[in-house]
Amino acid sequence: MDSNKQVPVTVLTGFLGAGKTTLLNRILTEQHGKKYAVIVNEFGEQGIDNDLVVDADEEVFEMNNGCICCTVRGDLIRILSGLMKRADKLDAIIVETTGLADPAPVAQTFFVDQDVADRTKLDAIVTVADAVHLSSQLTDHHEAEEQIAFADVVLLNKIDLVDESGLEAVKERIRKINPFAKIINTTKCGVSLNEILNLDAFSLKRVLEVEPDFLESDHDHEHDDDVTSLSFVSDSPLDMEKFQDWFSKLLQTKGQDILRTKGILDFTGESDRYVFQGVHMLMDASPMGKWPEGKVRSSRLVFIGRNLENMNLKEGFENCKSA
Amino acid sequence: MKADLNKFPELNKTKFENRGKDLRLGIPVINSVVIGNSIAVGFGDGTIRIFKAGQSSEPIKAHNGIVLCISKDGDDIITGGDDGRFLRISLNGEISEIANFGSRWVDHVTANNGSLVCTSGNNVYLWMAGRKEPKILEHESTIGGVAFDSKGRRLAVSRYGGVTLWKKDYSNKWKSSNLLWKGSHNKVIFSPDDRYLVTSMQENQLHFWRLKDKTDSTMSGYGTKVKSFAFVHDTKFLVTSGSNDAVCWPFDGIGPEGRQPICLPFVGNKLVTFVEPFPNENAIFTGLSDGSVFLSEIEKSSNTIIIRSFTESEVTTISVTEDGSSILIGDMAGNILWTSIWDEENK
Repeated sequence: MDSNKQVPVTVLTGFLGAGKTTLLNRILTEQHGKKYAVIVNEFGEQGIDNDLVVDADEEVFEMNNGCICCTVRGDLIRILSGLMKRADKLDAIIVETTGLADPAPVAQTFFVDQDVADRTKLDAIVTVADAVHLSSQLTDHHEAEEQIAFADVVLLNKIDLVDESGLEAVKERIRKINPFAKIINTTKCGVSLNEILNLDAFSLKRVLEVEPDFLESDHDHEHDDDVTSLSFVSDSPLDMEKFQDWFSKLLQTKGQDILRTKGILDFTGESDRYVFQGVHMLMDASPMGKWPEGKVRSSRLVFIGRNLENMNLKEGFENCKSA
Repeated sequence: MKADLNKFPELNKTKFENRGKDLRLGIPVINSVVIGNSIAVGFGDGTIRIFKAGQSSEPIKAHNGIVLCISKDGDDIITGGDDGRFLRISLNGEISEIANFGSRWVDHVTANNGSLVCTSGNNVYLWMAGRKEPKILEHESTIGGVAFDSKGRRLAVSRYGGVTLWKKDYSNKWKSSNLLWKGSHNKVIFSPDDRYLVTSMQENQLHFWRLKDKTDSTMSGYGTKVKSFAFVHDTKFLVTSGSNDAVCWPFDGIGPEGRQPICLPFVGNKLVTFVEPFPNENAIFTGLSDGSVFLSEIEKSSNTIIIRSFTESEVTTISVTEDGSSILIGDMAGNILWTSIWDEENK
């Protein structure tokens, strides 16, 4: 499918009061010369009225395909399929989700439904977080953790209402949950729309640019967050068969606890880099061209999820190295 | 003009294209409905056009965004749109608003025997003959499709988890029962003899219930979602899209369970995107993902003729006038063919 014909869809998450409505109003009213449709939830924040605003019920349903964690958003399938029949083409679609919603079914919809996958593409998950309240929300609501865990961009809003040390503390906490989300500091969501729309964050090409702190591992569990991240790196090449065996079993059995994965892999006997990324047990993977000349070939793997420490990830990864 | 299945269709136009109206409108064609010998078409810019023999069709602005659905109530067209409006449009093009749901879409509309229905979100709005205010039938999930039986006494509403079957008793009260099957159900239809109810699902399959004893079963094996399906007039076959063949399931005798469907193949391995029975014939029109349309006899698949050559855009609608004389074909790119089916000498 020609990716140019796919309309990018940005998923906007965040708790009530974080500033999503401010951002949506900016997207709808600013003179940017683009045509954006916004799908909002009826239980979401009020005060948005525009021809291109679509009301949706967040309706999660299970696919009857034997995949236990395969839930999708039925309302999105219906609305996105409808929007694709418009005579005037949209530049982007923004899906607002309510604070208490798990973002996984939204993301999975783009992998599971063929019509949606053919005509739209998941561009990025943007989470608006309230710099003042995020810490307590992370402690009280596991949905807040998931929204940070899934995010490609965290828009840290209302930074004018916290002092410098408070801001650093909340950023530190975001990075512990999700080391590869880009954090943007804002007040009143004053961010250039280019920084949150059309990012292509779910393309495999983008995975190549991910450079989290692989080696830094001072895991002081001060907050004891439920959702954490773990990363691994190896300079010795991996055995493709062993890796596929381990990784597919891992996603099959632990897919519900693994929220997002990304990786660049160096397989013995392969001249190409292998790149993958996944949401729960759904995964997109492909060879992505030769290794850059003069650069050391290495495999790197990042997991974000729950109970990661109980999955023997390090041991499993080590066992994939070619003998 | 018989198609050789080993050869690609010729690039030049068919005789049906040459003698008909071949419009390149550039606006996605959503669906169409037959009213006698006229055909009304809904478009992705909110307009409709009414095609009548020997007349040109002007666009009529009905909805602000998209005509999401189109059906008929007697001799009137009824439509629902993404502007939240449920409209009645006469064949002369006069528009009246039946209801307005604001920013909520009107996803499905239908009517039969004086009852008028539209759906928005989880609700069915049902206007009984002579009533101004609709009765609201609530459901637990978004509605995937609605259909009346032939008499208008039963209304099937497909949704997540199955079908809610509403039945009007003799005191005109609507009571519901459930036909359950796991998964999300989209389009729903009754067989013309009202014995069967068939739904297409989010998964690549169809499900059916025999209403007499509520036995049910699945028709699967499709490569994609089945979006278009219809009973061929005598109810012997249910013809379906969603595969490289037009798949025709036998609904005579014991029904399709445990039996093989008849598969009608086409040139070039394209996906079947729309199927439409030929009125009063054991034959179907099949539209493919490349825009081509064929007419085939179900039990003589060698007897296939090409109606329209390819346009590179998936066929989204085919309608045949009630007298079987003319056909309208529309596709996603906004190409329309409106032509007579019979040659002059065969009339």
